[in-house]
Amino acid sequence: MKRRQFLADLIYGATLAVTLPASITEARVNTTGIRYLRPPGALPEDEFQSQCIRCGQCGEVCPNRCITYFGLANGTDVLDTPFIVPREQACILCMKCGEVCPSGAIQPIKKTFEDIVGKVKMGKARVDETLCLSFQGKTCGVCYRACKLQDVAIRIGMLEQPHVLDGCVGCGLCERSCIQIPQAIRIIPDYG
Amino acid sequence: MSSTNRIFHIRHLNKLRWLTLTLVFLVLLLLPFLHLYQTYIAAHAYDLLSPGEKQIYDFMEMLTSPFVSDAETQLDAVKGNTWSGTLFGLQLSDPLAAVTQMAAAMKIYWPFVLTALIPVVLTVLLGRFYCGWICPATFLYELNSNLAVMLHKLGLHTGNRHLDRRFKYVVLAVGLVLSAISGAVLTAAIYPPAIIGREIYYGIALGGYSHVVLGGFGAGAVFFFATLLFDLFVARRGFCRYLCPGGALYSLLGRYRLLRIQRVVEDCNDCAKCNAICEFGLDPLRDDFGQECNNCSACIAICPTDAFAFKFSIKDQPYQGPGHLGRIYKRDQAVTAEDGNV
Repeated sequence: MKRRQFLADLIYGATLAVTLPASITEARVNTTGIRYLRPPGALPEDEFQSQCIRCGQCGEVCPNRCITYFGLANGTDVLDTPFIVPREQACILCMKCGEVCPSGAIQPIKKTFEDIVGKVKMGKARVDETLCLSFQGKTCGVCYRACKLQDVAIRIGMLEQPHVLDGCVGCGLCERSCIQIPQAIRIIPDYG
Repeated sequence: MSSTNRIFHIRHLNKLRWLTLTLVFLVLLLLPFLHLYQTYIAAHAYDLLSPGEKQIYDFMEMLTSPFVSDAETQLDAVKGNTWSGTLFGLQLSDPLAAVTQMAAAMKIYWPFVLTALIPVVLTVLLGRFYCGWICPATFLYELNSNLAVMLHKLGLHTGNRHLDRRFKYVVLAVGLVLSAISGAVLTAAIYPPAIIGREIYYGIALGGYSHVVLGGFGAGAVFFFATLLFDLFVARRGFCRYLCPGGALYSLLGRYRLLRIQRVVEDCNDCAKCNAICEFGLDPLRDDFGQECNNCSACIAICPTDAFAFKFSIKDQPYQGPGHLGRIYKRDQAVTAEDGNV
């Protein structure tokens, strides 16, 4: 009798759970209100949210302290998941987070040139030519110098004008280093 | 004195338990500081650190230099928390994390599920031991229980309601179903040990970008504080007893555990101190441990006549009647003896 009551409770709770929050099933878009990157090697956004267990180990191994975590203000789906705001602190592509991630939400990627260029898809940089100093005739080239994948991800032309190439992985070091305020080069995130 | 299957009998086991709880909690406190230390090394800028950061650097260097030569990489050996952590290359995870990930992702990601294997096997053998011996939230909850006793002595009202213990299974089921619907690991947000592990890290290491130490606490800290108040004013140890989804999973896994605390009826004097001390509101006096018992050994420590012992058995023994040293048993004996004489 007790067991039957318990099972009834279980089923009742489960149906409540299914019927009440129908709104959460809406398609995954960036509802957080900020432009963020996932750590290098992260799965596409949908899979990332369902596979990340919110243990916080990625942030704990990050030697650059670029990985921070969402709070409740950004929604329950992304609560406590890791993200990077490149203007605050960009990824230095050390690939430690993928190594330590137990859940597979951040896939391990070897720290070699080929693997990083081939597999890391955090986003892609885009230059705003109306803001960029070099396009205004004041030679700068800081973004190029900050880039870890020079001439693969970014090249500079006349007057140090930056041009983003296909090799860009979106680590955000260029955005972090841009001396313009607001920054003239930004990472457009790639959520897969 | 029965000697069947009796393994050992140590009254100070409860102190050992407090030692492990404290150690786990201290390690969780230490890890964010070690992380900060590693980032300071990686930045190669000791001179540019603020005085507070320099103190952390120096103290951590003092702590770790006897053990590691290359702190920046070697300190990666211990990372994470009890929700999921890396311990000298061995990755261990909470079974609840594995189960919820399965529900949320709708698939089994074996590399992760296998990290929960050792805890699952240990739980099947030892029952809900995690709750009593390791859980960093238990450390705070038990201190909270002690606080409740103090408040009670001061004459303040503290809650000791009894709710339905099965409610936590509903919480577990609802948590899993919600995770499956939303495709996000939601139980992590309401599971105290996971919260503690994260919030300690947030509070110490993520104090904003201004590098202010202490100040990054998030929503989890508020939730945990609310559970502390719940335990204090509604039900003693109420979250663990009635609401914890992880506790529910551990209880189910440990239902047929091998190692059990059992009452030795010959030594029992019916003083009922065990029932009073039991954090989980069980009834050891009437041999009612059930799947909730976490082998914490508090009843062993409090028992004045050493009437509890660890035994290997997959089932609790049925109620053995009043203890042989107690008044009821002696009176009954006297009565039957008289009957025999007549």
